[in-house]
Amino acid sequence: MGAWSKRLYIFLVYCFFYLPLLAMFLYSFNAAKYTTAWGGFSLKWYAALLRNNGLLDAALNSFLVAVCAASLATLLGGLAAVCLKRYSFPGRRALFIGILLLTVSPDIVMGISFLILFIACSVQLGFLTLLVAHTALCAPFVAVTVLARLEEFDEYLIEAARDLGASEAKALLHVLLPLSAPAVAAGWLLSFTLSMDDVLISTFVTGPSFEVLPVRIYSMVRLGVKPDVNALSAIMFALTLSLVLLAQVITQLRRK
Amino acid sequence: MERVPSPGASRFREASIAGTWLWLGLFALLPNLVLLLVAFLDRDTVGFFIPSLTLDNFRELFAPVFLGVLWDSIRLALCSTLVCLLAAYPFAYALAKAGPRLRPWLLLLVIIPFWTNSLIRTYALILMIGAQGLVNKCALGLGLIGAPLELMYTDFAVFAGMTYTFLPFMILPLYASIEKLDPGLADAAKDLGAGSLRTFWHSTLPLTLPGVVAGCILVFLPSLGSFYIPEILGGATNMLLGTFIKNQFLVAKNWPLGAASSSVLTLLLVLLAVLYRFTSQRAAGGYNAPLNARRDGE
Amino acid sequence: MSNLRLSPLFLILACFALAGPAAAAPPAGEVVVYNWSEYIPQDVLDAFTEETGIKVIYSTFESNEAMYAKLKLLRGRDYDVVVPSSYFVEMLHEERLIRELDHAKISNLGNLDPRVLSRPYDPDNTYSIPYMCGIAGIAYNTKHIKPGGVTGWKDLLRPEFKGKVILTDDLRDAFGLALRALGHSVNSTNPEEIRQAYEFLARLKSSVRVFDVTAIKQALISEEVWLGPIWNGDFLVAQEENPNLAFIFPQEGGIPWVDSFAITSGAANVENAYAFINYMLRPDVAVRCVEEYKYTTPNLAAVRLLPAGLRDNPILFPGPDEMKDAEYISGIGDALNLYEKYWERVKVLR
Repeated sequence: MGAWSKRLYIFLVYCFFYLPLLAMFLYSFNAAKYTTAWGGFSLKWYAALLRNNGLLDAALNSFLVAVCAASLATLLGGLAAVCLKRYSFPGRRALFIGILLLTVSPDIVMGISFLILFIACSVQLGFLTLLVAHTALCAPFVAVTVLARLEEFDEYLIEAARDLGASEAKALLHVLLPLSAPAVAAGWLLSFTLSMDDVLISTFVTGPSFEVLPVRIYSMVRLGVKPDVNALSAIMFALTLSLVLLAQVITQLRRK
Repeated sequence: MERVPSPGASRFREASIAGTWLWLGLFALLPNLVLLLVAFLDRDTVGFFIPSLTLDNFRELFAPVFLGVLWDSIRLALCSTLVCLLAAYPFAYALAKAGPRLRPWLLLLVIIPFWTNSLIRTYALILMIGAQGLVNKCALGLGLIGAPLELMYTDFAVFAGMTYTFLPFMILPLYASIEKLDPGLADAAKDLGAGSLRTFWHSTLPLTLPGVVAGCILVFLPSLGSFYIPEILGGATNMLLGTFIKNQFLVAKNWPLGAASSSVLTLLLVLLAVLYRFTSQRAAGGYNAPLNARRDGE
Repeated sequence: MSNLRLSPLFLILACFALAGPAAAAPPAGEVVVYNWSEYIPQDVLDAFTEETGIKVIYSTFESNEAMYAKLKLLRGRDYDVVVPSSYFVEMLHEERLIRELDHAKISNLGNLDPRVLSRPYDPDNTYSIPYMCGIAGIAYNTKHIKPGGVTGWKDLLRPEFKGKVILTDDLRDAFGLALRALGHSVNSTNPEEIRQAYEFLARLKSSVRVFDVTAIKQALISEEVWLGPIWNGDFLVAQEENPNLAFIFPQEGGIPWVDSFAITSGAANVENAYAFINYMLRPDVAVRCVEEYKYTTPNLAAVRLLPAGLRDNPILFPGPDEMKDAEYISGIGDALNLYEKYWERVKVLR
């Protein structure tokens, strides 16, 4: 590959990634309704979003569930990783395989199996059911991420702490946790995005009293190209962008 | 793995092992067992199922309808995987060979779409490929075409959507495996007189095969279960597995059949996961980004 | 680093503190409405909340079947007001998912057209109060099809429209138009007639570019497709955006429907539900809904208030000629399983 054709190809792939997002951003300021023709600059779709209470509620609900589910999943997944790394016990391999399988289990199957379970137990669908399902969705990912990090460092650090008289829990908290903090944080962030991105499971396991953003966006997107979706998408993309950039800057700073 | 037993650890140890087993049992085993049970029950028009055991649902999976759905889904997922692979390999290669100062930023640009809500990205694509989208507008404006191209609601649109959504899953593992390559190897092959194509085929490709397999599985898995990309971009003209299962539960009210077809999907994915473990164990390496794939898995 | 160590724990604690109030039961003063998407204007909902203090939670479905399955799943709880189409009222009440209505609590009932009230699926309106009505016809783009080029459902099959047709993803509507094109009743339970309809749809499938319920007008506006069945209200909204679009009442007869308000059997906010339904029957509110969505309102008091362009619009208010062969969809019992089987086969055809 010549240097120029290489550069051109890289550039084209980035165009493929970013042009649609750029178009969405531009169209969110389009005054025209429905059509993709330019009808002048306007902020009215952003204003319309602000007035749409249902949407704001859904966004808040999503955020709440994502934060709770990510935290619970980090706790459970982190614990699982510690178990798998530090202890040997009967069924350890089965546990590991079970967690791995969970990471590839299709969302639709997860959503449906939870729905059947909840209906069988006559639980009312809402915040709690969604929290349980999303925690189940995310925890295996955290476990795998943290485990990969734990595999990398020295077992004897903990044993040293234990020899110095620290209890197991204390040793984990003061030695293992700080060392694996990047992986724990990555797991948490991953869980958060998973939860914010999930349409299928949420469709099945939440009720009208607790509507979430992805499901709302899905029905808006299905209705077709409308500027209020553009505005919403632009806001969400800007948030993601700033979060990713922030994370990048922090890691760069810490490296120095 | 050698463990040093320490007496004080035992209570914490017992508790955390029990806790882990508990959540795995409650969150994974129990729901899936219930699902499997329902797959063996009979359909009921009044309730959702009646407690009489039957194999009818699995028999129905061998009917032309379901086989058609399954075949369409697999074909689509395979094609999307291939498109992603072909597009991502040269890109990942070029990325891995970029200057060390530029590389983190180039990589960041791949990761940003990876973290962006996949529905929103699917939607953004409509603005590009619609009859009045930017692609058609530009081409019309430049006089390249006389009438708008039919891009939306075609197989092309679905492939474009899948590629757009899943390309980062292919690029990241490929990049990781290409980056690890020793540039000396290629040079050595060249010195020995191998052409660049032969060098690629006999040296570069085999060495990056683990990345290729990882990327393929990471793209294949989510595209197999995907439902909104084909629905929104493809116009739902073909029924795919995800939609089929969803319809059995939310429209046709045929829970047992839905449960049976989901079991088949799970089985398929488990087989693939085993394959993945098999190849990745051979390749070793602590790279775990592939597992992030599910974050977009719809 | 010392801050980092504590932050995950802190976060976990913080979110449980946050989760507490959200997980609690919803406060009084709500009404949960389960309706088609884009079917009640946001300002109408806002005005209701402003007047009564009752918060409206507006939840949407894409098809009657999906709504029915969800209500059944929840055993009629969680939602207060639902808006089923025509014969679904019958199915919902047979399953006891909706409750008997107290007409005394709906003082605006008198505004409604008696011809739309007491339809066969609910003769005394015991369970349902009409919200809007409409009829499915055919929309086509005059840029590609000259006026008069399409006259009935059977024209959808014409070879020159290959790949240019949008078809509704609604099973009964799709079978309805096929049955009508073949001269049968839209409610046929005759297996042979249903098979013929399946064959019609199977042939039509090769012409179809998109299956959709909710975004039909989008595809027509953006000229992705040339023609397809559409509800008259959707058509009028689409025509405002793209004046090239035209509408016909198919000569075999259009397929009309009535969407009605009903209150679920497990409704938690029954009084609020009545207040909401009564509010929606107010003439000024009904006018606002017609202006936004261009469907026929059964509200006679509202019709009088409509601007001239809408009041005498022949597509919005079809005359007796247009309605001559129109046939409402009604419940068909177990024959529905046969429809579903054939529909799945249509969907997997290549």
